[in-house]
Amino acid sequence: MNTLTIFRREVEQYFTTPFAWLIAAAVLLLTGLLFNQNLSQAARGATIVDPAFIPSVFSFALVFFAPLLTMRLLAEERREGTMELLLTSPVDEGSIVLGKFLGAWFYFTLLLALTLVYQIILLSISQPDIGHSLCAYIGIWLYGGATLAVGTLFSALTENQIVSAFLSMIALMLLWLGDSVGQVIANLEVARFVRTLTLQGHYSTSFAAGLFRGEDVAFYAGIIVVLLFLTMRLVASNRWR
Amino acid sequence: MIEVKGLTKRYGDRLAVDHLSFTAKPGEVLGLLGPNGAGKTTTMRMLTGYLPPTEGSASIAGYDILEDSMEARRRVGYLPERVPLYPDMTVRGYVTFWARLRGIRSPRKHVNAALERVHLMDRQNQLVRNLSKGLRQRLGLAQALVHNPAVIILDEPTIGIDPQQVIEVRESVRALGKEHTVLFSTHILSEAEHVCDRVLIINKGRVIAQGKPADLRRQMEPKTQLYVVVGGASGKAARQLLSAIPGVLAVERDGDGYSLTVEGDRDLRGEVSSHVMQAGYTLLEIRQATTSLEDIFLEIVGKSR
Ligand SMILES: Nc1ncnc2c1ncn2[C@@H]1O[C@H](COP(=O)(O)OP(=O)(O)O)[C@@H](O)[C@H]1O
Ligand SMILES: [Mg+2]
Repeated sequence: MNTLTIFRREVEQYFTTPFAWLIAAAVLLLTGLLFNQNLSQAARGATIVDPAFIPSVFSFALVFFAPLLTMRLLAEERREGTMELLLTSPVDEGSIVLGKFLGAWFYFTLLLALTLVYQIILLSISQPDIGHSLCAYIGIWLYGGATLAVGTLFSALTENQIVSAFLSMIALMLLWLGDSVGQVIANLEVARFVRTLTLQGHYSTSFAAGLFRGEDVAFYAGIIVVLLFLTMRLVASNRWR
Repeated sequence: MIEVKGLTKRYGDRLAVDHLSFTAKPGEVLGLLGPNGAGKTTTMRMLTGYLPPTEGSASIAGYDILEDSMEARRRVGYLPERVPLYPDMTVRGYVTFWARLRGIRSPRKHVNAALERVHLMDRQNQLVRNLSKGLRQRLGLAQALVHNPAVIILDEPTIGIDPQQVIEVRESVRALGKEHTVLFSTHILSEAEHVCDRVLIINKGRVIAQGKPADLRRQMEPKTQLYVVVGGASGKAARQLLSAIPGVLAVERDGDGYSLTVEGDRDLRGEVSSHVMQAGYTLLEIRQATTSLEDIFLEIVGKSR
C-alpha cells in the first residue's frame, strides 16, 4: 500500500517533469537513428538485421540513461527535507526504496515498450526471428532493472543529484568495461569469472543471442535485491546523521 | 497526549537534549521556548521517530516511540523547521500524498478539510513551486493535520515569513490546540506567550522554567528597577545613601547613575527623591526601568549558562 503510494508519486513525477520527457525523446531518437542506419545497411545486403539490435543499443545507452532516470530518486528527498517526513511517517524504509525503484523501472519499461514500434516496422518489411527479439527484450528489461538499482543506490548516497548521477555512471561504466576486459583476458577461467560479475556478461552472449537462461535471470534479480537492500540500509542511516 | 521521561540525545560527546521530562495533554498547546541550539529540533525529531534517543523514553497517545514506533508515528503530524516540499506537485496532490502515507485510504474528504483549514482550497491546483513562503508554511501545516492526528508537532513554524502570515499561522496553531495535543517550538518569548497554554523554557537541552505564560511572567518578573542619577555626592556617599533607603535591595553603578533593585513591585520614586533631597543632594534623574519580557527571557537563559 505504501509502496504503491510512493510508486505512484514517482511515476507521476516522471510524467510531469520536462526532464524525463527529454530523456525519453533522446532514447527514441538515438535508437531510431541507429535502427535506421542498421536497416539501410541491411537493405544494401551488407548485414542482416539483428533481432536484438534495439535492446543491444540500450545495453550501452543505459550506462548514461539509468543514472539520469534515478539520480533524483532519493537525493532530492534529502535535499528538500522530505526524507525527514517520509521517515517519520508510518512507512518502513523498504517501502520507500521499493516504491521509488519500481517507479523508475516502470518508466523504463514504457520507454522500452515504445521502441517496439521499430520491431513492428521490421515485422512489416521482413520476417525477423520474433522469439529471438522477445528474448533480447526480456534480457534488456532485466538488465535495465539492474542498472536502475545501481542508480538508486547512488542516489541514496548523496543529496547532490549531479554527484549521484556521476558516481553511478562511473560504476556502470566500470561494469560495462569489465565485460570487455573479460573478453580479452587470455586466461579463460579468469575471463569467465570476470564476465559473470558484469551486467553485460549476462546479456550479450545469452539474451542477445536469443538464449534464455535461468541463471542470467537469477543474476539480475539477485543484483537488484542486493542493491535495493543496501539502499534501504543507507536510507535508514539518515536517522543516525 | 505526549509523555516524555528522561529523554536524552548525545551527538558524539555533545549533549543536545539532557534528561528532558514533560507531559502535554490533549487540548493543550505546549510551547518549547529556547534560543538557537537549545535542543528543540532534536527533541521533536526524537518524538516523531526520526532520531533514536540516546536515553530515556517517550510515548505518543500511549504508544512508546521505540517499541510501537509505527503506531506512534500514525498518530503524529509533523512540520519540520524547513518545510519539506515537492515543488512539482500540485497543492492538492501534495496533501493527498501525505494523507495516503499516513494510512488514509480514501483521502478526498480529509484533504478537503485540511485545505479548508489552512485556506488553500482556492489554490488546490497550483504547483507547490509557485507558492509564496507564507503559503508554503500553510501547506506544511495542512500536511501535518490532514490525517487528524492526536498529536501535532510544529518546529518553529513562524520562522522567515512575513508578519501578516505569522499572525495567521499563530491563529491556526491556537485553533489546532482546541482538538489536538500541540507541541510548538519557538525562540520568541512573546510568541510563546500568545500561542501556548503552557511553556517549557529550555536551554542547553534542559528545562529551566515552566508554567502558564502568565505565571512564568510573574515568576520571572525581576524586582522593579529604578535608575537614579544623584548630583553633588561622591560615589561612596551616594551608594550609602541609596542602599539605606528601605525597600532597596541592591545598588549598582550604571553609567552616570545607579541602578536600584527594588523589593516587589513597589514604586519607590517618592521615597528615593525625598531621601536624596534630605541628604542635601540633587536628584538629576529618576526613572522606573521597564524590562521587556524578551530581556527577562534572555536573563534566565543567560543565568543557566
Ligand atoms: N546532526 C547533528 N550532529 C551534531 N550536533 C547536532 C546535530 N543536530 C543538532 N546538533 C547540536 O545539538 C544542539 C541542539 O540543536 P537543535 O536541536 O537543532 O536546537 P534548536 O532546534 O533548539 O535550535 C546544538 O548544539 C546543535 O549544534
Ligand atoms: Mg531548531
